[in-house]
Amino acid sequence: MSATVSQTGSASQADLVTLTIDGVEVRVPKGTLVVEAAKTIHTDIPVYCYHEKLGPAGLCRICLVEIEGMPKLQIACNTPVADGMKVHTQNPRVDDGRRAILEFFLLNHPLDCPICDKGGECDLQDYAMAWGQGSSRMIEPKTAKPKAVDLGPTIVLDEERCIVCQRCVRFDDIITREDSLRTDDRGAHTIIATATGKPYVSDFTGNVTELCPVGALTSKTYRFRSRPWDNHRTTTSCTQCSVGCQMHVDERGNTLLRTMSVTEDDAISDSWLCDRGRYNIGFVNDERRITTPLLKQDGAWVQIDWDDALALWASKIKAAIAAGGPSRIGAIGGGRLLNEEALLAATLHRALGVENLDHRVGGQMLAHHAGFSNHVDVENANTIITLGRPPSELAPVLDLRVRKAVARNGARLISVGDHYANSFVPETHATNADELRAAIGENPGHVVQIWDGVAIEGGPELTAPMFELPSATRVDRYVIPETPNGRGAEALGMLPRDGGLNALQMFEAARDGKLDVLGILGANPVLRFPDRALVEEALRAAPFVVVTDLFLTETAEFANLVLPVCSAFEKSGTTTDFAGDVLPVIGSVLPPEGILADGDIIVDLAERLGVALPLPDELEAKIRELVRTPPPAPVPYYTRATAAAPDGALRVIPHESVFTGGGTLAFDTTIAELHATPRASIHRATARALDLADGDVVDVAGANGQMVRALAVHVDERVAEGAVALLQGVVGAPLNALGIAPHVRLHKALVTA
Amino acid sequence: MPTDLITPVLTKGIGELNLRDIKVYQEQGGYEQLRRAIVELSPKEVADICNGSNLRGRGGAGFPTGRKWSFLPKDAKTRYMVCNCDEAEPGTFKDHMLLEETPHQIIEGILIGAYAIGCEHAYIYIRGEFKRGYEIMRDAVAQARDAGFLGDNIFGTGKRLEFTIHRGAGAYICGEETGLLNSLEGKRGEPRLKPPFPAIKGLYGEPTVVNNVETLAYLPYIMRNGPEWFANVGPQRSPGYKVVSISGHVAKPGNYEVALGTTIRQLIYDCAGGLRPGRKFMGVQPGGGSSACLFEEHLDVSYDFDSVTKAGSMLGSGAMVVFDDTTDFVKAAYALIRFFSHESCGQCTPCREGGHWIQKTLERILDGRGVDSDIDVIKSAAHQLTGLNLCALGDSIEPFLASVITRYEDQFRAYIKKPAEKVAV
Repeated sequence: MSATVSQTGSASQADLVTLTIDGVEVRVPKGTLVVEAAKTIHTDIPVYCYHEKLGPAGLCRICLVEIEGMPKLQIACNTPVADGMKVHTQNPRVDDGRRAILEFFLLNHPLDCPICDKGGECDLQDYAMAWGQGSSRMIEPKTAKPKAVDLGPTIVLDEERCIVCQRCVRFDDIITREDSLRTDDRGAHTIIATATGKPYVSDFTGNVTELCPVGALTSKTYRFRSRPWDNHRTTTSCTQCSVGCQMHVDERGNTLLRTMSVTEDDAISDSWLCDRGRYNIGFVNDERRITTPLLKQDGAWVQIDWDDALALWASKIKAAIAAGGPSRIGAIGGGRLLNEEALLAATLHRALGVENLDHRVGGQMLAHHAGFSNHVDVENANTIITLGRPPSELAPVLDLRVRKAVARNGARLISVGDHYANSFVPETHATNADELRAAIGENPGHVVQIWDGVAIEGGPELTAPMFELPSATRVDRYVIPETPNGRGAEALGMLPRDGGLNALQMFEAARDGKLDVLGILGANPVLRFPDRALVEEALRAAPFVVVTDLFLTETAEFANLVLPVCSAFEKSGTTTDFAGDVLPVIGSVLPPEGILADGDIIVDLAERLGVALPLPDELEAKIRELVRTPPPAPVPYYTRATAAAPDGALRVIPHESVFTGGGTLAFDTTIAELHATPRASIHRATARALDLADGDVVDVAGANGQMVRALAVHVDERVAEGAVALLQGVVGAPLNALGIAPHVRLHKALVTA
Repeated sequence: MPTDLITPVLTKGIGELNLRDIKVYQEQGGYEQLRRAIVELSPKEVADICNGSNLRGRGGAGFPTGRKWSFLPKDAKTRYMVCNCDEAEPGTFKDHMLLEETPHQIIEGILIGAYAIGCEHAYIYIRGEFKRGYEIMRDAVAQARDAGFLGDNIFGTGKRLEFTIHRGAGAYICGEETGLLNSLEGKRGEPRLKPPFPAIKGLYGEPTVVNNVETLAYLPYIMRNGPEWFANVGPQRSPGYKVVSISGHVAKPGNYEVALGTTIRQLIYDCAGGLRPGRKFMGVQPGGGSSACLFEEHLDVSYDFDSVTKAGSMLGSGAMVVFDDTTDFVKAAYALIRFFSHESCGQCTPCREGGHWIQKTLERILDGRGVDSDIDVIKSAAHQLTGLNLCALGDSIEPFLASVITRYEDQFRAYIKKPAEKVAV
């Protein structure tokens, strides 16, 4: 028997090394580590500190193997293969070495497996069963260390269970580059701690609970809630943003318990999850979910049954067409729906002659780029250029690839324009075309451009150097859609064509009495559309507004009819990530009784309107075809102003956090601590000019007297002078309430004790 | 004391001349060899001289210095020379004295070594506790800079050599060369996983040589007297002179510079004045706290790297700790184990957990609560933690402990048999 592995994909015969592991001949590329070579013949060598994505550390010493000709046992995690090497992973000497290491590990380990969350999926438990000696020879009391340490908003740490493999510390160092975890004290008193004694705050904290081979690091949302053998696991794609990380969902008794990364998923998530995707699941069981259709009568909500609700919507559509034609009907949304649902919604409306369709509610110009690429190419780039809000704010796990490219593969990161912040790796900031040209230089190599899709004033001039690159330059252009499935919705028809109205025009038409029926499908324009006042006016003026959502969101409050729908954990289909991959979404729990999926609603509505929709088995091929043929670039309906503000006023730089938004986040009380705190970030010089200091509370006034009140001032050198960075999509402090006017003024708030 | 045993090279003039003054040092021929190296010789010629002397590292491992230099990649643009002055091995106090008494010969040695390996920025990492030594070195470097021996244009040749003094913060582990490099970079003083070795990827990721103070300090004399002068002294494979720190139960503890190949008996009895009157020799650690104890039958072993290793111990940093018949070997072992357990950085499981376990067991034995199985458990634990760690600290736990348990097991047994109330700790 022999096995061959090609890690690089192009290893020639000459680069292969032949060795034997437990007598089995193995051929692997030169430089492969023994621990990886063993995997090719399905021989598992135990590891704690070693991890494929973190590399060897050589600390735990559990991976001991015997290599013929070497006097001492060797660690398989840091020993590269050599021709003719004879490795033994299973013999009495190796077993004894592992027994010795396990004895050391268990000396001071509390052995509290019966109450430990890791029990049943714990590497210490498993290896102790395999190689441990069953009892300890130490008769001294075990060393006491801190228990239930509150490490931050998401993680609890048990220092006694910790085996100091430092995987968490190295994740924070190598993968996120955030440098907030470290070891403290030394020797037998070594503990895991945060860098400055501050809480462990990052958008990726949950990953350390998975990396932890024992029960030391546990998630607050999952602690003491279940046993792994009682959980039922489904694998799906995360639908919190457009990255589409592959993710396991564990459920028990129809209750979502936790999500876990898919360690084999190199193509999309690189085996990581962000905390939004991991922890934002509590909304599914929130008691505020709507469970019956709601009709507004005399300003109050009345529960009605589905038949009446859909009959009402259908009759309103028929009446509108009869009275004024299909141009008096519009539909907004689709970016939070599945591909199938977006396609059905667009097909239904087009069949009725309705062209007023738009998935864009957040000011984005487009959600797709001209070509198709993949996630992995980002980390192999030589030059990465970000335009607008950076991936760290919009697509966190993609940003880990940016960090990998810069910190480990030597890429250069260039940010363009006056956005607020980029990432945790060094970057060059270019504020005009000359600076951008200089930053790109003569020989940019493989260029990756990542754009947030929002048009800005002076954009073409600013980005001109991007289009002057030598013709041989490979350029991959990525756009991060504003919604998880924005790219799918756009490709599948949720864009105006043939004179149809875009989102802005629909709101204006509704305001002016030119739109009779407006369907808002899983979207929240009141919170997200750049001009909140316009949306509110439009929704008040429109005779019939129907909203599908899980909760009574800011937008649903304005509707005439609200239809309760399934979350992404309660339905199955596909979604499209920013790179154009069509990914499976698999439901893991049943929806509360009486709730339908958006797709079911569209199908029912189509029947009532006499429209024949594609059958389920026709959908997949159609989706794949349409996603591969993106529509022509749409015209922007919103352009962000970038001109300098007049004296005393500040230019607004909108920015984003992973933890902003109205629906799934606002209605998730299990992670209340994670919700972004709205703040006004300004440069030190700006603060000085306005006589403001860090922590001061200010009111933000728009050009026409609109106000967002009581924001804390955050002094940050990364914000351009004369500008203020304000978070978008925060429920309590909606930036869009200030309107699209580009300038604001800060007033010190009168704070009462 | 027969003076012919003591051969002052590095220690010459100490106690007689103020060698901290650059003028005094220069009057003794100081900085002349640096000038010769930089003005007259190529780096390769200097390295060849070092190679020809068979100089082996004086910090503990005894690795041939010229070979260590030869591991540097030929095409590297940046290389670093780091002088290890983090002397903290129990029993060792030679670098401490050289630092405080003869800073200029250290600087000259570092600069010659730096020139030989093509380095433009040299560092000296000084143990945090050596505050006085640090101040002396700081003043000496200022003098050398004023004299034009370092900086941008050394001896007017246009050659550049920068020099940085860095103080440690009090961790034994920072004497381990990769722990030192991490500490120098401002990181936690933890040894690195090897490979890659510092010669390939060292300080700030660049090829780096880390040499001990004493090793580098011999360079000017090897240059002055020629490599044969050094190579022809003592055993062929372990030649030259060595400053030996002798402490413990001897009449005249101190640093004695001798030719390697002198016997252990000569060092103890002829140099250090023998034991105190009426006392009986019980053992000696020949190479600092990490070395196994040698006994009566080893007194005539030649004091050089290979012979001491052959006798079952090691020469290490050249620190002899002598024990007479007043020694409580249980307490002596405990003191050392406590030291290594306390100084473990905590990265590797065997060192972190094993050392602490043995320490706690010895504490209990000393407390009169020992049990019969303790001795076997200690021996077994010490043995099973050895050879399994990133660096040599973990491997320092077993040698002394095992050697004295084997030899003086009765002392350990006595504690276990004694009723608790009779034991005073």
